[in-house]
Amino acid sequence: MQDFSSKLSNSSRGLVELSCETRLLLTLFASIFSLIFSDVYSLAILLFASAVYLVLETRLKTIVIVYIIFAFMAGIAMLCAHLLGYVLSGMRSQSPIQALLPMMRLMISVNTIIPLAINARLSGMVNSLNRLKLPGIIKLPLLITIRFIPTFLNDLRQLRVAIRVRFRGRGGFFFWVIRPFLWWRVFFMPLVVRLIRSADELAMAAELKGLSSDTDFGREKLVFSKADRLVILLALYSIMAAFLARDFYA
Amino acid sequence: MSIRSFWDGKGLFETHELVTIGLFAAGAKASALVIALVGGGMNPLTMILKSAVYSALLVVLLAKVPKTGTLTLANLVGALLAFFLMGQSMLAIPALVIGTLLVELFIKAIGGLERHPGYAILTVALSEFVIRFINLGVSYLMVREQPQLLVMVVVVVAFSYLGIIVGLVGGYFMTRELRHAGLLQ
Repeated sequence: MQDFSSKLSNSSRGLVELSCETRLLLTLFASIFSLIFSDVYSLAILLFASAVYLVLETRLKTIVIVYIIFAFMAGIAMLCAHLLGYVLSGMRSQSPIQALLPMMRLMISVNTIIPLAINARLSGMVNSLNRLKLPGIIKLPLLITIRFIPTFLNDLRQLRVAIRVRFRGRGGFFFWVIRPFLWWRVFFMPLVVRLIRSADELAMAAELKGLSSDTDFGREKLVFSKADRLVILLALYSIMAAFLARDFYA
Repeated sequence: MSIRSFWDGKGLFETHELVTIGLFAAGAKASALVIALVGGGMNPLTMILKSAVYSALLVVLLAKVPKTGTLTLANLVGALLAFFLMGQSMLAIPALVIGTLLVELFIKAIGGLERHPGYAILTVALSEFVIRFINLGVSYLMVREQPQLLVMVVVVVAFSYLGIIVGLVGGYFMTRELRHAGLLQ
């Protein structure tokens, strides 16, 4: 199996290395509490805490690259929103602070998503899934999905090579833009056929191996390291501080 | 049926059906990722293409596993994968599951997926509509202080639903062709 993110993850390690469960928990905290708070002080505390987590978990170079990409995309989105604001003048916000709040929520989410996405390894993901007590009916397809994605990406690569060979010398961008049906026929149809065949073969292999929704995939015990516990504790303190700030400034 | 059997979904799906659902969820996620990367992010063409491929794959999946709960499971697996890999909207998952399940129960009530091949298309069209509606709700919570940003989200959602409709048409023809080739029963 190709561990497609391992190269990236090796180059993106930060000061501490947290478990996959801790990263998921922090992402969950960020998505819930950034929605609950709607004042600038609480969101500023959460933003600061998420930035600290980001710096601890990810290398500075990676952070800078991701932030440049994010700033570029956010800039385009803000420009479009600004233009739409002129068209729909009744929908403009009342104050610059209010305009800042959605951006702060987005930044909190981005800060927690970067370590999760950059440091994710397929093997770690599978181990962490085994540790979570998900029902078998969800766990089996989810494990298959995670394991199959690299194979599927390899299939895509092979199809691209086949198309290059078949349409040698005339496979430019506009060639495909003006022929969407041809793209559908030479790229998408073989892909679906490949998917159906893989599904049949893998299903047969799984049944022969005796896999089913009640198969125990070996539940490992979930152990949080010192760093994990410390980061979760700091996250909880930050949330409490955000609640206090909201009540104090209200 | 014991609680453990119910929790593990025994009797709901066979192993080969679960494998097929997992593979199609992988195919849908990976192709969406590749199209987004090749297409250069959030432009209308990429959004339409991504949604078209996604919905066509779902139509083929429903033709292959025509059971109530297939789409819910596929959407749940896709959403969990998006959460595990990219931390995407955990909050929308319960609403997504309930919405898709309600659509599937409605289809079951009017005859089920086995009754007519067109019901697979109806299921995907309705469930994607419900999912987009839920996502709009979550987006509203994110940008509630600056509602003009929601207009942007509505435009994005409209483009992606246009892609869903294109994909449903493509999925219909594709399913017919695959049945003709003997790859679908």
